[in-house]
Amino acid sequence: MEELAVMAQQADTGSSSGPLGVLEWLGSHFIGLFNASGEQFVSLVTGILPTLIVLLTAMYAITTFIGEQRVTRAVRWSARWWITRYTIMPVLAVLMLTNPMAYSFGRFLPERHKPAFYDSAVSFVHPVTTFFPYANAGELFVWLGVANGVAQLGQSTVPLALRYFLVGIVVIFIRGVVTERITAFMIKRTGRTEVFADFDRQFEAAKAGAK
Amino acid sequence: MTETHTTRAVFVRPGEGGWGKGLLLRADGKRDKVLSVTGGGIHPVAARIAELTGAEAVDGFHTSVPDDEVVAAVINCGGTARIGVYPRKGLPTVDVYPGAPGGPLAKFITEELFVSAVGVKEVTEADSETGTVPPKVPPRAERPSARDVAATVTGGQSTGFGRAFDSVSGVFVKFGSGVGSFVNTMLASGRQTVELTLTTILPFMAYVSLLLGIVNYTGIARGIANVLSPIASNPLGLVVISLVVSLPFLSPILGPGAAIAQVVGTLMGSQIAIGALPVQYALPTLFAINGQVGCDFIPVGLALGEAKPETVAVGTPAVLISRLITAPLAVIIAWGASFGL
Repeated sequence: MEELAVMAQQADTGSSSGPLGVLEWLGSHFIGLFNASGEQFVSLVTGILPTLIVLLTAMYAITTFIGEQRVTRAVRWSARWWITRYTIMPVLAVLMLTNPMAYSFGRFLPERHKPAFYDSAVSFVHPVTTFFPYANAGELFVWLGVANGVAQLGQSTVPLALRYFLVGIVVIFIRGVVTERITAFMIKRTGRTEVFADFDRQFEAAKAGAK
Repeated sequence: MTETHTTRAVFVRPGEGGWGKGLLLRADGKRDKVLSVTGGGIHPVAARIAELTGAEAVDGFHTSVPDDEVVAAVINCGGTARIGVYPRKGLPTVDVYPGAPGGPLAKFITEELFVSAVGVKEVTEADSETGTVPPKVPPRAERPSARDVAATVTGGQSTGFGRAFDSVSGVFVKFGSGVGSFVNTMLASGRQTVELTLTTILPFMAYVSLLLGIVNYTGIARGIANVLSPIASNPLGLVVISLVVSLPFLSPILGPGAAIAQVVGTLMGSQIAIGALPVQYALPTLFAINGQVGCDFIPVGLALGEAKPETVAVGTPAVLISRLITAPLAVIIAWGASFGL
């Protein structure tokens, strides 16, 4: 009812009364609703889309030029140490392979580290949209929705974007480390210690074989 | 494939508002599992397909199955990620939501591999006389990816007017093919971008616009502001939001396509714009609304990393539990980092 009262306040004061007035009221508000939505749409399309399209094009081209092989090498290198495993590795994976193919880099890790890497990488797909929207353009509005509000206040969104991106890296690092611990705990709790020790041996053997 | 085996074929047609022409599925030798990747056990559609084909229904959240044993994957995805992963692997995919090709993997979602809006009644026994041709899928190696296409170099070989000419023209050919490769890559990137814009970004903009239009025009926005402002305008409230979205039984439901996070983000943004929420809370808000990120996708994401079934079994709960700790922590860190904005 409150909404209706608000709508009534917004209505033209010059409308006629009686049953016809009700229809008039309905008519003007029905189309008014879609006019308001249409204005939203136009502001989104003209405000965001032009920059986004050229940015996406440039980023797709750059990732093609750099090529998957070179990235794969960098990712394998970063998989070795626990500090880089949940910072550089997921960031590179998301930037180069984009969501969802980024998670395929989990194949460079032993089984016990795969859940933590996934957690770390998937948590970066929203912070990454600030400067590199191509990496997860389907979920842009998690960032753009909030950023739009800040922009409408007349403030620059760059400081917010920068902090979102940097704090994002801190968060995925913590998330990776915590999930790695919990995975180890789950392995022990479910009595799979031997199974995973076996996986580790297979992984080492495969690594030695690859060399 | 011969016609000698005795397993029954099943025809899955698209439901109302669904996409695709329908899939003909059958179990065949080693290929005898219906993968249900829907969360919360075996989906009735997967159970029905398994029952009719004589295959075994498997919960993809608990076990992973080698691709060559899968008759079909049953998913519930209206978003952008899961919808394309199985078609990309060449596996027939049955979506119980009315999904249509979209997202970065849209080009793999073809009529031969994908059908959506499927309910139990859309799964019927196929007539043994008609429609027995199984869907033909080229092996993955034969399906060009955009990168392959982009990397294709135009520009020919030297035409053979003699060696001296070849060495001179070689430079031009090299130069020419370099330019050709550059232009082609740029063009392919542009095409990829426009495709993504048309299939994913513009539809979402239209949907968000309608939602915002309704919310603003009717005054519901004010109502939401009254509810959200007290919660979201102090760090503790944001921590509570992050805890709620990362509850292990909620997070897999809130995940798909980040739809909830996107809508809440847009609403919070509009509240910041009218001054109901201070700008400083933008940063912790962003982390509060994404505590559930990817929780709907854990088994699929792990499978993409070639994880073993045991890893999926311990990894899925590990990630879900980890979020309960790290999601509130992320909000607190973001809150600490938001001073001076």
